[in-house]
Amino acid sequence: MTKTETISVADIIGGDLCISSEDGQKVFDKIVPILQTGKHVVISFEQISMLISLFLNAAIGQLYGKFTEDQIRSKLEVTGLAGDDMEILRRVVENAKRYYANRTEYDKAWLATEGDYEE
Amino acid sequence: MQKKIGTIKTDNNGFNAIAALAEGAYDFSFETLELDFCECSFFDANMAAPLYAVLTKYNLCEIKTTNLRNKIEKIFQKNGFLCELGFPRLPDTNQTTLPFRSFSLDSIQEFNIYLSEYMRERGIPSMTEGLRRAFLRSLLEIFQNAVEHSFSDYDIYVCGQFFPNLHRLDFTIADAGMGIRENVRRHLNNKMNSIPAIKWVLEEGHSTKKDKLGGLGLKLIKSFVMLNKGKVQIVSRYGFYEFSCSGETFSKLDHDFPGTCVNIEINTNDPYGYALQSELKSSDIF
Repeated sequence: MTKTETISVADIIGGDLCISSEDGQKVFDKIVPILQTGKHVVISFEQISMLISLFLNAAIGQLYGKFTEDQIRSKLEVTGLAGDDMEILRRVVENAKRYYANRTEYDKAWLATEGDYEE
Repeated sequence: MQKKIGTIKTDNNGFNAIAALAEGAYDFSFETLELDFCECSFFDANMAAPLYAVLTKYNLCEIKTTNLRNKIEKIFQKNGFLCELGFPRLPDTNQTTLPFRSFSLDSIQEFNIYLSEYMRERGIPSMTEGLRRAFLRSLLEIFQNAVEHSFSDYDIYVCGQFFPNLHRLDFTIADAGMGIRENVRRHLNNKMNSIPAIKWVLEEGHSTKKDKLGGLGLKLIKSFVMLNKGKVQIVSRYGFYEFSCSGETFSKLDHDFPGTCVNIEINTNDPYGYALQSELKSSDIF
C-alpha cells in the first residue's frame, strides 16, 4: 500500500510567508526525495498567510522538470490553500506544464525581432 | 546644475518628465543638483519612487529643491521623500500615504512588514480581505521581480498614495537597474528595443531566468487589475506600457528611464470576491 507523507510548508520555511524563491526551493528539496520513493505527498499550507507565484514556481512548478504529469497527478496533493491561492497555484502549474513541454519553442519567434526605431 | 520639474502625474507624460531628469546624470559628479519646481503645480506623491530612482544616477554631494509650492512641499514631507533630502518630517494627519522608502534587494520581509503597517487601520480604506490580499500579493510579486531582474547596484524605491475622492490607490515600485530591454537582450542574444522587450516579458510563459521556470507575476497582476477595474503601468528605459480593463497601450518615451518602474492603481471600492467562487481541488490542478 502506498504510504502518504504530509509536509508542512510553514514548518519547512519557519514562518507564514511564502514570498521568496529560496524558501520555495527548500520545499521543493523536501518533496523530491519523498516522491522518488513512490510515496504520496500531501503539501500542507496550513498557517500560511501569504504566497506568491515566485514561491510556488520554485516549490511546485519545478517538479514538472523532474517528474511526469502522471506521476505528479497521482502522487501529489495540496491542502490548506484558500480559493484565490488555489487559483494562483493553478496558473503556476499551467505555466510549468507549458514551459517544460516546450522549453525552447517560445523564444524562436522573437529571436529575429529587432527595433524599428532608434533608441 | 539645475533641472526643472513640471507637473508630474502618474501617466506617460509624468514618467517622460522624470526620465528627462536623468539626462546628463552620468556626466555630472560630486556637485549640487538643484531641482526647480517653479513649473510644477501638482506632483502625484507616489511618483517620488521613480524620481528617487533617477536621482540615484547622479553622484552628488547635495540635492536642493527650489520654488516648491507649499502644498507639494507638504506632501513630500508627509510621505517622507523630502526627508531623504534633509527636510523635517510632517505627520500624515489624513493617513493617506504609504511613505516613500528604500529597501535593499534582500529585504522582502521588511517590505512585507511595511505593507502590513501601512495598509491597515489607517486612512487607506478598509477594503475587503480578498482585495487587500490580492493587492498585497501583487505588490510582493512586483517587488520580487525587481529583486530578481533589476541587477541593480541600488535599492528598490517604493511609495504609495490614496486618493479618497477618486477611490483610487496608487503604489509605485522603482529600481535603477538594467531595465527590461537589457535583460531580454541578454536572454535572447538580440538587440530588441524597449517596447518589444516589455511585450516579450508580458507573454505567457516568457521569462528571462536562464533554464528556470519563471515569469508569472506580471500576468497575474494583469488578471487582478482587469477584475478590479484598476490599472498597471510598466516603464522601463524608452518603453511605457499601460493596461486596464479598457485595453492596453504601448508607447515610446522621449527620454530614457534608467531602470524599471511599475505602478499599480487599484479601485478601492471593489468588493473583489466574485472571481473566487470555484472550489479547486488538487486533482483539478495537477
